[in-house]
Amino acid sequence: MEDFILFLVRYLHVLCGVMWIGILWYFNFVQIPSMPKIPDDQKPAISKVIAPEALFWFRWGAAGTVLFGLILAHLNGYLGDALLLKRPDIGFGMWFGLIMAFNVWFVIWPAQKIALGLVEADADAKPAAGRRAMLFSRTNTLLSIPMLFSMISAQNPTGF
Amino acid sequence: MSKILQSLPMTVVAGVVLTIIMVFATNQLENMNQSDAEKAASELMKKMN
Repeated sequence: MEDFILFLVRYLHVLCGVMWIGILWYFNFVQIPSMPKIPDDQKPAISKVIAPEALFWFRWGAAGTVLFGLILAHLNGYLGDALLLKRPDIGFGMWFGLIMAFNVWFVIWPAQKIALGLVEADADAKPAAGRRAMLFSRTNTLLSIPMLFSMISAQNPTGF
Repeated sequence: MSKILQSLPMTVVAGVVLTIIMVFATNQLENMNQSDAEKAASELMKKMN
């Protein structure tokens, strides 16, 4: 039973992680580079429909990944050691993931709400918020590379 | 830093560089932790003697 719970939590951790990082990479590898090529009259389809929907699954994917990841580390008995980098193989990945989730909830999402016009803000604030969201989203893309390396190598019996 | 982040290819390269740094840091920390364990084992052996 304990093994099944461990498996289930790990499975949910990976499912949420795929949702989160998949949408992060969609934003950075597809949507942001494509926006200048889209005619102005069609841009609201992205900014008013697709982006808000993607951001919903993006931020809750991040929350689920962190929640199930912390539960998994606790059940496996290495949560404290990983956070203190006594288990650096998984610890670096955990810290990168935590920083990324913080960026999602406390920088990218508030900035996107302003940039997409989901909350009232000055017209001048929109471009600055859009730039802030883009730079922190890129920061998360950068961090996702070592984060995934750490997560996968820690599960590999021989490391990397 | 923002110049790197404005370019997607540069962001990916920076991510790879950070990964390499992380690998070296991981090895260093694991070696340090292993030394601590060896010290503890040595102390235990002395007490037993």
